[in-house]
Amino acid sequence: MNKDTNSDSSKPKKRRRDEEIEAESSSSDRTLSLEENLTFSDTLVALRIMRAQFPHIDKVSIRPFILQSQLYSSVNDRTQVDRELESLRRERVLRVFKLNTGQDDHAIMFLDDYLNQIECVVKRMEEKKQVNLEVFEWFQTHVLDSKLEPSVGHEELVSGSDCSLLSIVGKVKDEHISLLINAGILTRQLIDPDMYWFAIPNIGSVLKGLSQGRKEILSFLNRRKYKEMMLALLEKKHLRFSPLDMRFHLRDLIGSGHLKTIHTPTGLVVQISKD
Amino acid sequence: MWKDIGGREAGQIRPNSFANRVKSHRLSTLQLSNYKDIVSPHKGSINSLQVDLTEERYLLSGASDSSVAVYDVQRATDYEGGGHIAKHRSVFVVDKQHEHGHKYAISSAIWYPVDTGLFVTGSYDHYVKVWDTNCTRVVMNFKMPGKVYRTAMSPLAASHMLIAAGTEDVQVRLCDIASGAISQTLSGHRDGIMTVEWSTSSEWILVTGGCDGAIRFWDIRRAGCFRVLDQSQSQLGRRPPLLKRKRPGYKFVRNGPLVASMMVSISKSLSAGQNSSVKPRAPQKRSANGNGVRQSSVGRIPAKGSVRQRLHPGMLSSQDRATAHYGAVTGLKVTEDGMYLLSAGSDSRIRLWDVESGRNTLVNFETVRLQTSKPIQLATTQDPAVVFVPCMTAVKAFDIWSGKTCLTFRGHYEHVNCCCFSSQDQELYTGGNDRQILVWCPSRLISDGVDAGPMQDQDNWSD
Repeated sequence: MNKDTNSDSSKPKKRRRDEEIEAESSSSDRTLSLEENLTFSDTLVALRIMRAQFPHIDKVSIRPFILQSQLYSSVNDRTQVDRELESLRRERVLRVFKLNTGQDDHAIMFLDDYLNQIECVVKRMEEKKQVNLEVFEWFQTHVLDSKLEPSVGHEELVSGSDCSLLSIVGKVKDEHISLLINAGILTRQLIDPDMYWFAIPNIGSVLKGLSQGRKEILSFLNRRKYKEMMLALLEKKHLRFSPLDMRFHLRDLIGSGHLKTIHTPTGLVVQISKD
Repeated sequence: MWKDIGGREAGQIRPNSFANRVKSHRLSTLQLSNYKDIVSPHKGSINSLQVDLTEERYLLSGASDSSVAVYDVQRATDYEGGGHIAKHRSVFVVDKQHEHGHKYAISSAIWYPVDTGLFVTGSYDHYVKVWDTNCTRVVMNFKMPGKVYRTAMSPLAASHMLIAAGTEDVQVRLCDIASGAISQTLSGHRDGIMTVEWSTSSEWILVTGGCDGAIRFWDIRRAGCFRVLDQSQSQLGRRPPLLKRKRPGYKFVRNGPLVASMMVSISKSLSAGQNSSVKPRAPQKRSANGNGVRQSSVGRIPAKGSVRQRLHPGMLSSQDRATAHYGAVTGLKVTEDGMYLLSAGSDSRIRLWDVESGRNTLVNFETVRLQTSKPIQLATTQDPAVVFVPCMTAVKAFDIWSGKTCLTFRGHYEHVNCCCFSSQDQELYTGGNDRQILVWCPSRLISDGVDAGPMQDQDNWSD
């Protein structure tokens, strides 16, 4: 792993996280945190560490996901992030989903986590004695494998243009698609009436918490006199409206450009960026 | 600098690289000019700026108060500040009082590419007017069905004099100056068209960006567009990889972006799953003459439930709904070598596309927010090294290959709409909603007054 020599681009929350890793992890992880420096050099490493730090939410069982803006704030070169994400996506290591909270929000989830999530949903549907559950099988084996983008058109799902899509189910009918939408695996967004977007099931409350948490942090900082606060103090605040923790939100807001960090002699200061 | 000149003299540095070194050094010192000022007579926000292509001497600006003005940026009209600051007032202004002037805001003002004898303006009053510069008279008038967002003329055109006009109507119209009529309409977009640009490598190729988020390439000699850019089709790096082994188990499908063919969205999504490896390049060449030949191996037209009319093969591209941006496309710029295309969208993303392969090169330009309601004008340097983008109230210069911000120009009080870079003098002109045109020049020592007017003869030491 490359040693990142720019230690002045460090963020104390990462230092704190490294200490956390040292405290709670085994010796193999310890070598990881000691060797690498404070910003990540690699997207995959950043993804894995952020997945490990995904906050535990009580009421909803959801597998960890990472927002794309969080990646931008933790790896220096954004073009490198984009390209590595693209190659990881092509290798089917992870999937990218377009979220409907805000303009350019994308969520990244490892493929195994996503399949696990679908399994949970299928199990719940089985308990409710739903029929036509083989469509989920078909979805997992065929659609996920061949369609790597975040969206898929109606024609491609319904018509049997490729032999592999005409699988167990025969012809995919509208009831099957409704079942997928009910399960939360496919959604529609306002942009195009003919496109279905892949989605993470059971994520609704988390997304609501995400947008509310963002608004809460931005309004809190906006109300302050100089629209800024020390990062160390800000991290300790507890969010009232969001089940996700402060570190998650801070990474996301810094990466999307709403907040910026300034180095001061007493540490990092987080400020609302005026642009 | 002197060392470089010495090296050039001795033949150690080649002329092109010497010129490039000087230019890029000057570019890196761009700042708000302290010796040059353009006095803008406009009373509305400035929507369009362009320096003429032949001499790079006259700057044409179009504003929201229906006024058009021309400035000479090389010779100042008068001097102030003891001869240090050159003021450039407008050579002439045309406004609403002109008998044939525009009635509403002018969204686009461009020079006739061949010489500065004519200029073309497009306005929200649904008209595109061609003006004679010397008499300031309207020579020709074209009525459009909606507000005109952008007009463009090809800088390479040797056999046609067409003005491409993008309006809020879904069709692009080509107006012919030679005949005085609208000679062609290009259909395919599903919403209004915000930006129009001609290709810098062929006089027949037009690129348009619409409010539906699609970027389409048109060859005006044929019907329909031959390419729709899709943001999910990407390549890692400036050029696509040369040769790749075909991945076993996958059928050979044609390359995604070339869409003027039988199968539109179906095989596109199939090939999208394999967009990294597979394709040998030869069959994917888009032929600019006549309809491209497509492989019939994947020629199954699926029987869809929805109604499919029999469309002309060139019009099948209208069914392709690939988007280049998640919002409207607000700015387009083709680089001068014709190899890359930059597009800015209202989803606050700027994307760099490889024109030959039609793919997104995944360069991430760090923009937070871009203006969404008006089209913006981007500018690039000649060897495309830097791209200037108006981002809200600042203009940012990005390195085109890595996407990092090199310079930020903050000077306008309100949103910046347009910027224009003169590669001859390395000067950047920006215009915004605050009715000002600002000039950004490489920094210069005050005492270096080569073209400053008569200066007082002063001694530097105190007495």
